[in-house]
Amino acid sequence: MSTHHGELLLITINHETVSLEKRERYSLGDAQIKMLYDALHHSPILEESLILNTCNRFELYSKTSDPKNGGAIAFKTLASFYNIQREEIESHARIRFGQEAIKHLIEVSAGLRSQITGEAEIFGQVKKAYATCQRLGYSGRLINRMVQKGFQAAKLIRQSTQIGEGQINISNVAVDLSLKIFGSLKNTSALVVGTGETGEKTAKALRSRGASNFGVASHHSERANEIADKWGGNPHALGELETYLNDYDIIISSSETDSPLLDARSLAKHMDARKNRPLFLIDLGLPRNMDASCQEIENVYLYNLDDLAKIAKDNLSERRAAIKQSEKIAAQKSASIWQMLESRGLVNFQ
Amino acid sequence: MSLFGIEDRQWIFLATVVFVVAAALRAYTALKLHRKAKRPSTLMLVCFGWILQTIGLYARGLEYGGCPLSNRFELVQFMVWSAIALYIFVGPAFRVSFLGMFTSTFASVFSILSLTVRSWDSPSRVPIFGDSPWIETHAALALFSYGVFGILALTSVMYLLQSRSLKQKKMGGLFPYMPSIFELTQINFRLLAIGFFILSASLAIGAVYWFRETESVDQPKLGTTIVVWFAYGILILLRSRQTLSYKQYSWTCIAVFATALLSLEAVDQPKAKESPLLDSTPPARSP
Repeated sequence: MSTHHGELLLITINHETVSLEKRERYSLGDAQIKMLYDALHHSPILEESLILNTCNRFELYSKTSDPKNGGAIAFKTLASFYNIQREEIESHARIRFGQEAIKHLIEVSAGLRSQITGEAEIFGQVKKAYATCQRLGYSGRLINRMVQKGFQAAKLIRQSTQIGEGQINISNVAVDLSLKIFGSLKNTSALVVGTGETGEKTAKALRSRGASNFGVASHHSERANEIADKWGGNPHALGELETYLNDYDIIISSSETDSPLLDARSLAKHMDARKNRPLFLIDLGLPRNMDASCQEIENVYLYNLDDLAKIAKDNLSERRAAIKQSEKIAAQKSASIWQMLESRGLVNFQ
Repeated sequence: MSLFGIEDRQWIFLATVVFVVAAALRAYTALKLHRKAKRPSTLMLVCFGWILQTIGLYARGLEYGGCPLSNRFELVQFMVWSAIALYIFVGPAFRVSFLGMFTSTFASVFSILSLTVRSWDSPSRVPIFGDSPWIETHAALALFSYGVFGILALTSVMYLLQSRSLKQKKMGGLFPYMPSIFELTQINFRLLAIGFFILSASLAIGAVYWFRETESVDQPKLGTTIVVWFAYGILILLRSRQTLSYKQYSWTCIAVFATALLSLEAVDQPKAKESPLLDSTPPARSP
């Protein structure tokens, strides 16, 4: 491996390099992070460090006074800390040097390297990791400049590209559409019909965005009770759907059924009582649970699996274009940050 | 009249240019760059245009010694000014994203129209208020309510566009930048209530003078004004009772506003008989 510009090194273990089972062992609590910092800085050649530890990645950025041996020392320390063979940890990790390490930091902070590309949570996690590093006193001039400038570049990427726009999984697309109909989900109620995986994920996604009033309907009341206990919400018998239909604004349906649960005729009877309140029908069932004629009724918005998948696919193709644009920005910015570090004598001092 | 060496129409022309730039920039950012422009940037531009327009209308008002509401150009400009004022001062409370683009487009279209049709700014016309500040208040409030109804028509258009996109599952264009349909329905009702209240206040003031001197108002003006007031009154009733669907309600808001605009034609007609209430000597207009 090339150690050119090895004075700044990055060791990363993430969802791109290793499977979840193997990644799990690198997860650290707050106390362990402090212990690892202490262990790393027992070696005098590791002058500054930043550890980023999230559910999907472990990363170590270090400034070393010995570019040739810095990586080896870091791996040795990590192997000892995790109590595994050095060869094994090396096989799980990727190592980057110099400008490449900065580019990686920018891409991670901007969400480009996240499992769900473009997610914004990672930026907060990197900020938190940097705050911990500063608090423990392991950051210095190089790490500080690199991280601060890296954050600016990541913000630029998020503001000037569509990297965070548009959802790319079906559950989140459904939540986005709910927001476009109801604005806030705090006062909306959702009914989950059936107990499919996508239905469960969609209900969870709605809950995470503020929906609090849930109902669960199943063909069998025992099953409805069981799921309602597990997910939270009111259990209902599916056979009596029309008696409680008007209590809900969003219906997520993934039931196994031979004939549609709702059609335009059955829905039309309820619309007067709804007094113009919109009804969002999310049909995740195969065969379809809602007759296509439901869409003809005013204030009813029906989306089936294909509709949601198409929106997710369109968003993904737009996001791919944004990824290319973002990577270009990350490369440009990492080059200019590296030049700035060079001009200040913080790197390239061998 | 000129102010700071610039004629009133020129101030208004500059304001129109700013409104056009604001609308174009906002649309370009959303449709071409696919970015959400920050509200302050749109708001600042619109504010700048509004200040220029205010200077223009003030310069025109100095000529009359009152509100410049003597011809169709001035009526339209005052309505646009009111709509923009509502967007600037009340808009933030509505929290409607993209309202700035729609409002500046509205201002651009009507401003360009009023500047283009030279006959609307007839210099031979005289002020309509005489020496009564109450009649001036009546007219200003009526025009302000038209500004509110203009914004209502815009949010109705936004509702129809958003609802159509959701129904047809077309997520492109302006869809990602506009508010939810539920929020739009709430705002539409508030705007209707505000506009109706202001128009009612205006008509109440006007009625006091009309009862004193029924000849002071021409029949076409009286008729169209009552029709517009009734139309909005019925609309508020139907909306409160949820008799109309939101789609019908939105279309009706747009249609009634179009009718209200046509009623400006009647307001702008020369009076058949000058009322003693309006019997004052107007200052001469510069050509």
